[in-house]
Amino acid sequence: MPGKIPIESIDSLRHKIPRDEARGMRTHVIVYASERILAQIQNDLSLEQAANVAHLPGIVGPSLAMPDIHQGYGFPIGGVAAMDYHYGVVSPGGVGFDINCGVRLVRTNLCEADVRPGIKQLVDQVFRDVPCGTGGSGFVKINAKQLNQVLTHGARWMVENGYGDERDAEFAEAGGALEGADPACVSERAKQRGLPQLGTLGSGNHFLEIQYVEEVHDAAAAQAMRLSKGQVVVLIHSGSRGLGHQVCTDYLAEMGPAMKRYNITLPDRQLACVPISSPEGQSYLRAMAASANFAWANRQAILHFLRGAFRKVLGEQVHLELIYDVAHNIAKREKYEVDGIKRDLLVHRKGATRAFPPGHREIPAEYRPIGQPVFIPGSMGTASWVMVGAEGAMRETFGSVCHGAGRFMSRTAARKGRDARQVQKKLEEQGILVRSETRDGILEEVPEAYKNVDEVIEVVHNAGLARKVARLRPMGVIKG
Amino acid sequence: MFEILEHTADIGFRARGRTMAELFAEAAMALSAIYAELDQIEARLEYPIEARGEDRESLLVNWLGEVLFWIDGRRVVFSRFRVDAISTHEVRGLAFGEPYDPTRHRAKLLVKAVTYHQLKVTETAEGWMAEVYLDV
Repeated sequence: MPGKIPIESIDSLRHKIPRDEARGMRTHVIVYASERILAQIQNDLSLEQAANVAHLPGIVGPSLAMPDIHQGYGFPIGGVAAMDYHYGVVSPGGVGFDINCGVRLVRTNLCEADVRPGIKQLVDQVFRDVPCGTGGSGFVKINAKQLNQVLTHGARWMVENGYGDERDAEFAEAGGALEGADPACVSERAKQRGLPQLGTLGSGNHFLEIQYVEEVHDAAAAQAMRLSKGQVVVLIHSGSRGLGHQVCTDYLAEMGPAMKRYNITLPDRQLACVPISSPEGQSYLRAMAASANFAWANRQAILHFLRGAFRKVLGEQVHLELIYDVAHNIAKREKYEVDGIKRDLLVHRKGATRAFPPGHREIPAEYRPIGQPVFIPGSMGTASWVMVGAEGAMRETFGSVCHGAGRFMSRTAARKGRDARQVQKKLEEQGILVRSETRDGILEEVPEAYKNVDEVIEVVHNAGLARKVARLRPMGVIKG
Repeated sequence: MFEILEHTADIGFRARGRTMAELFAEAAMALSAIYAELDQIEARLEYPIEARGEDRESLLVNWLGEVLFWIDGRRVVFSRFRVDAISTHEVRGLAFGEPYDPTRHRAKLLVKAVTYHQLKVTETAEGWMAEVYLDV
C-alpha cells in the first residue's frame, strides 16, 4: 500500500528504490522528482508499480519513473523500462491500452491578437470539424482495404491520400510510420472499433488546444522550430482510439495463459508479458506497430480537419505547419551503451516521451543542431511546454522524459463539489474558452486535478534530461 | 447494485449480486452507466453476449470486454443485462439496448479497456462481489 516502499535520495532530483531480491526485483528503481512531487506521488500506488516493473525478465538498467508519474495499470504512467531485445520480454501493459497516444504541435502564421477576437467562432468550428467521437464517427471515410494501408503506412498514407501536406509525415517520430507493422496481427474486432474512429480525438485526457507562446526560454531552439513570443500554435493530444485499445486487450488475454508456458510469474496480472523473441511477442510487436501507425494517421487526419477549420474562420492565407509529433505510449527498438557495452534494447515508454539529444540521426535535419522537440501538455487551465532532448537522457533514461503534468486527484474527487458551467466560466475569465462533448470531460480535467506542470518541467530541465524552450498558454480548448 | 471507486487517472466500480449470474449482469450495468446516461436508453433490442476465461477473474474481464466491444465498436448502448448460463470458464447472456443515437443519448466517458488492476471477484455473506477498474 502507499508509503511502504523504501526510497532513498541520491540528490535533490534523483531518488532510489533499492533492489529487493527477496521480493523478486531484478533491478532498482530511479525516480526523478522534487521533494514536493515525491510527497505527492507517495499518495497512490505509483512507486509500488515502478518497483513491480523491476521484476520483468531481461530488464536492463533501472526501472525509471518520471516526475509526472501516477498510478496506472501494471506499469505506472510516467514509467520507462528497457528490455534486452534478445533475452527480455515485451509487455503490452508497458505500452498501454492507448498505443501511440501522443502529441503533435502545429505552428500558425498568426499571433494572439489575430485569433483572440474571433476565438469563440474558431473554437466552435474546430469543435464541429474535429469530433471527439462520443457523438458520432470521424470524417475520414475509408474501407477495410484502405485501413490495412493505414496500418502499414501510417501518416504517410494519409498525406498521399489528400489528408495533409508533403512535409507532415517527415516531421513525426519514426516518420509517422513504424516499420514491421502487420495488419494481419490486428484482430477484425480491433479494425471494426477503429475504422469509424479515424479522425476523432477521443475523451478522457485527450484534447486539442489553441495556444500562444507566452515565454521563450531558448531563443536558438525556438528559432529552429520557427516559434516566437505571441505566436499561435495548436497542440493535439490523441492516440490509436478503439483500435489500439482492442489490440492491447486482445494480446493481454493471449499473454496471460502464455506466461505459464514461459514460466514467468509476476506480482501483477496487468504486467503480463512474453519473451520478445516468442511468436506471441513478435505478433504483438507487429500489431503494436500497426496500432502506432493508426495513431499517427489519426493525428494527421485531425491536423487536416483543423487546417480546414482555421481557413473557414480566418481565411485562406492561414498556414498551419507541423512542428513535430511524438509518441508517449510505445515500445521502440533502440541501441544504448549500458556500463560500456552497446546493447540492443526494447524501450517501453508508458506515459514517457522520447527525447533524443542534438546530433541524433533519427531527428529531422533541421532540428539536429538543437535536439528532438518534446511537447509536455499541462492541464487545461495552466500551460504546456516545448522542450528539446538533452544528453542526460541518453546517459540516464534511455532517451526518455516525462509526458505531462500527471494527475494527482482522482476523477471522482475532481467532480466533487464542482459545477461544469462554473469551471467553464472561471476559465473564460482567464481567457480560456472550453468546449466539451461531455460535462464530465470538463469537470474531471480541472486544472486542480493535476500536478503543477512547471514543477515537473523544472525537474526534467535541472536533471539535464531535456531543456526548456517555450511555455505555451491555452486560449481555446476542445475536450472529449 | 454497484458503486464507483476512485483511481488517480481512471475509474473503477464495485458490483454485487446474490449469484454469479447477477454479479456479472450488475458489472455490465456499471460499465454501461459509466459510459452513458441510462435513463434515455430503451431496452428494445436483444444482443447475445458470451465470453470464456481461464478463471473467474479473466471470465469477468472478457465478459465486460465483450460488452465494451458492442458499446465502442458497434455503437450500441445498453440499459439492462441478463445472464442465462455461467460456470467458472464460460458465460452466456443477453444485453438489452439500442443503437446509440446522439440526439437522444448522452455519452459521458469513452472507456478504452477493462483492466486486471486490483481486480477482485469474491464470495461474500450475501453472495458475490467484484471490483473492476477501467482505463478511460
